[in-house]
Amino acid sequence: MKIVIKAFLRYLLRRRSLSILQLLGIACGVAAVIGMAISARSALYSFNEAIEFLRGKATHHIEKPAGSMDEDILIEIINDPAVDFFSPVIDRRIRIADGEVVRLLGIDPFLDSNIRPEIVRTISRDRYSQENNVLYDFIYMENAVLIDGSMAKKLGLSPKDTINTNKGIFNVVGTFSNPSGELLIIMDIGNAQKVFELKGMIDRIDLILNDDTGFRGRWGQGFKIESNRQRRENLTALLQAFKLNLQALSLLALFVGVFLIYNTAMFAVVSRRKDAGIMRGIGVRRSEVFLAFTTEIILFGIAGGAIGSIFGYILSRILTDILGSTISNLYFFLRPTPLAWSWWNMLAGIVLGCGASLLGGITPMIDLVKTEPVSALRGRIYQKASRKTVKKLSVYGLLIILMGIVFLFFTSAHVYIGFAGTFIFLIGISLTTGFVLMVSIPLLRRFFSYLSGTIGKIAISNIWLNTNRTSIAVAAFMIALSMAIGLGSLIHSFRHSLIWWMNSQLRGDIYISTRSDVDVPLELYEELKKIPGIGGIDIYRNIQITYRGKPVHITAIDSSVLKKYTQFSWLKGGSENWDPVKKGSVIVSESFARRFRIKEGDTVSIESARGMVSLPVTGIFHDYSTEHGVIMMDRSTYINLFNDRTINSLGIFIDVKGEKRQGIIEQVEKMAYARGLPTSRQRQFHERILGVFDNTFAITRSMRTLATIVAFFGIAGALMTLFVERQQEFGIYRALGFSTGQVALITLMEGIGMGLISFLMSIFTGSAIAYILIKVINLESFNWTIFFYFSLNPYLAAFTTAILASIGASLYPLWKVYRLYPQMQIREE
Amino acid sequence: MDTPRPIIKTIDLWKRYNTDEESFALRGANLEVYPGEILTIFGKSGSGKTTLLNLIAGLDRPTQGKIEIEGNDMEAMGEKVRTELRRKRIGFVFQFFNLLPTLTALENVLFSLELIGKPDKDSALEALSSVGLKGKENRFPFQLSGGEQQRVAIARAIVKKPSIILADEPTGNLDTATGEHVLNLLVSQCKRYGATLIMVSHAMNTCRFATRIINMVDGILVEDRSTGDCEV
Repeated sequence: MKIVIKAFLRYLLRRRSLSILQLLGIACGVAAVIGMAISARSALYSFNEAIEFLRGKATHHIEKPAGSMDEDILIEIINDPAVDFFSPVIDRRIRIADGEVVRLLGIDPFLDSNIRPEIVRTISRDRYSQENNVLYDFIYMENAVLIDGSMAKKLGLSPKDTINTNKGIFNVVGTFSNPSGELLIIMDIGNAQKVFELKGMIDRIDLILNDDTGFRGRWGQGFKIESNRQRRENLTALLQAFKLNLQALSLLALFVGVFLIYNTAMFAVVSRRKDAGIMRGIGVRRSEVFLAFTTEIILFGIAGGAIGSIFGYILSRILTDILGSTISNLYFFLRPTPLAWSWWNMLAGIVLGCGASLLGGITPMIDLVKTEPVSALRGRIYQKASRKTVKKLSVYGLLIILMGIVFLFFTSAHVYIGFAGTFIFLIGISLTTGFVLMVSIPLLRRFFSYLSGTIGKIAISNIWLNTNRTSIAVAAFMIALSMAIGLGSLIHSFRHSLIWWMNSQLRGDIYISTRSDVDVPLELYEELKKIPGIGGIDIYRNIQITYRGKPVHITAIDSSVLKKYTQFSWLKGGSENWDPVKKGSVIVSESFARRFRIKEGDTVSIESARGMVSLPVTGIFHDYSTEHGVIMMDRSTYINLFNDRTINSLGIFIDVKGEKRQGIIEQVEKMAYARGLPTSRQRQFHERILGVFDNTFAITRSMRTLATIVAFFGIAGALMTLFVERQQEFGIYRALGFSTGQVALITLMEGIGMGLISFLMSIFTGSAIAYILIKVINLESFNWTIFFYFSLNPYLAAFTTAILASIGASLYPLWKVYRLYPQMQIREE
Repeated sequence: MDTPRPIIKTIDLWKRYNTDEESFALRGANLEVYPGEILTIFGKSGSGKTTLLNLIAGLDRPTQGKIEIEGNDMEAMGEKVRTELRRKRIGFVFQFFNLLPTLTALENVLFSLELIGKPDKDSALEALSSVGLKGKENRFPFQLSGGEQQRVAIARAIVKKPSIILADEPTGNLDTATGEHVLNLLVSQCKRYGATLIMVSHAMNTCRFATRIINMVDGILVEDRSTGDCEV
């Protein structure tokens, strides 16, 4: 047995280039999966860390449904029997000099010592020191702050330094360790109230309760009480659709990765047919051949998996950054720290590498050991699947496609069923590859024969005569190209739907403060109203509430302004939907309506500062601002319900044209600038939204590229295997008078032929995937309609990728042809 | 005195490769081979010689008929026992040598011994030496000439001292002089160990070494000729 295994393993060394290619194939497949998995885990881990760190030991918190609350409430809280400890908090965002948004927590260091003892311990460390009394400075020094260690390191700050912010200059009095990854500044609550002009107001109270039910019974009306579990659930729910997106991408990586490893392992087995035949001929048992193959495959799996896990870890560091930036743009600030290297990653890579390799090798291995030795001894026979087999596989493929479609019909039950349906559909399509090859080969033969005569004919025939090898590579490449077309079409359609939405709803000439970290003072609104030429100002306020246990947004607007200046796109009806809004009705976004199955005429019941209120829904509009859903109401209704006059941003609509209009815009900009408020003209605002959109899809694009690279290795492996197996055949071509260039051209044509067939298949499959993503998966994941906008670009990009990747995959075999065939080589080893 | 029992016996052996067609490689081959015989089966290309040899070696299965090795029905043996038979009792020499390309000459020979559970390096070296390959033990097949590769194949077949050696066109891929040398070696080694040798060939020179010659035409063993009459 030792020699059997030795014979197998030496083969790997002798065919170094092929072995390296196979190893890289497995490594890339594993890297794609591990990279995606680690980065997703990093993001979620950091998310949990951030929640844990900021909540400290608090079990609950209480706040108003919207806006700040009067600190007088603390007197009642102190006396509540359910409260063991409490700490009032100001929780805001500020912008530091380099433009970065930082969270600022205003706390009372004495009251907070039971909630966040680690931070308070930092403040009270030298409380009796005369020279370095942090606690004293923290409380009495104006604008004194503690900054977290990573921020201090990043900005090169140490105690006694100052830090410039949009809320003035802060004095650093100490640093603290913050594992959450989010940049954090701690300030005394009194100072914070001054900085944010919140005299006598607080944002929330963190609590340690001993009786949840009793407390809720006393404070339930007009307040929002959240336990930590609820808070975590709410935040997790915010990420739900995004997590689904990540899971889908991880599955894509897994699918393509496993496909490639399967491909690689299968090549390893089929290319060793003759060796197995010789062994069987001289008395090696089937089980021994099986064991030798298994050893080889497992060794490949181990090495490829280990290398892949390292590649994957490196990849995860890039993907984690992209993920963090996407989550921060869309949901809440999150700076995920890449998880530290763990040997479990390598173990996972090895298990994946070995598992997928065995899966790939098992069928050809069983087939090989079952084959009579005499057949195996014939060595490399053309691995053409019989027409009967091809047709049988296609029928199975069609049945599986149908099964996938049936699954897709049930996507509304759970989006996972949609994912399953999509992948089943792809598996079904893959099984029809042989049939497509069979049907398209005659046409391609004619085409390639027209291009390069007999050489083209030979090349295309080789693809057909080696279906067992080529069809898997073509299928893998086709899937990668299809995903590229599907995702490309989705992104294009989504982008154009977004542009359409912005053009119909975000029609303000200039917007003030569209960022969440600054509020707009009411006086500015009053001053702006007086400027002649300004036709309307939309006062925008957005808060997050819980509706039926899920996070949704309430948006307060000026309905008369929006009615006049925007062209909301309604699912039913037109601008008459605005009329009841002024009188207290609400309109809801499509995602809200779909998520909670709300129709026009239904009512929504929400918890307001006045308690539970039911509001009639008079219209449903298209909206892409948040997938969680928006309840939109007039500002007067909002103030009435929530007693909150905060303004998040202003949208200004100017009636006059030309230079005067330009003048008003500049005047508004000046007035906003004087108050430190950012402004965006319509075009800038739209561009920023598109920037966020493009950033959101950065990870999708990364995975799409990765899938293409993985598939590239699939094609390269197939070509290399075919090349290695046919060295003698190439010698015959040379003997017949083919030049080295012509022999090389055969290989090149084979590569291009496979790429072309993959592309042709991907036109249909990619379009189908685009349809599924847009009309099924997206709708179920995000609850909004994306309109299909056709673009040729994804198809052209796929075609270019197919041809370039095929040529790229042919380069190494081409080089080998030129190196090995200056003279004729017919002799077999 | 007992009548010697045939070591190999085939009874009405038929073989069809393509089930869709009525083309038979063997059409009822009957053969008896006795211990120590050196038998040459002659025939043109496609006459069914190699098929017969493969069936005797258990490398392939007959469509119809029976093969007995040392009195045991091959079909009844099952795959496992047939493999054991090839491993211990049968040595095979192929036309295209079929050495494992990733093993050296010595390792190829040693492999045979390992399979029977006696991985004795000295025996392998001796076998290689006996076929004139002393000093080339560590060469890989691609570093050896065709004749040398065939000699390694002979050493691999004889080193385990099998009772039967089957040789499929052992000189088919060699020039005349090398072929003669290889045949000399093969026959002498078989005689040395008392092995029964069946060679299939379409080369005339093979018959000079045989104790019995059988002609094969279109899948049928048509005549049994004495040595010295080698016309096909």
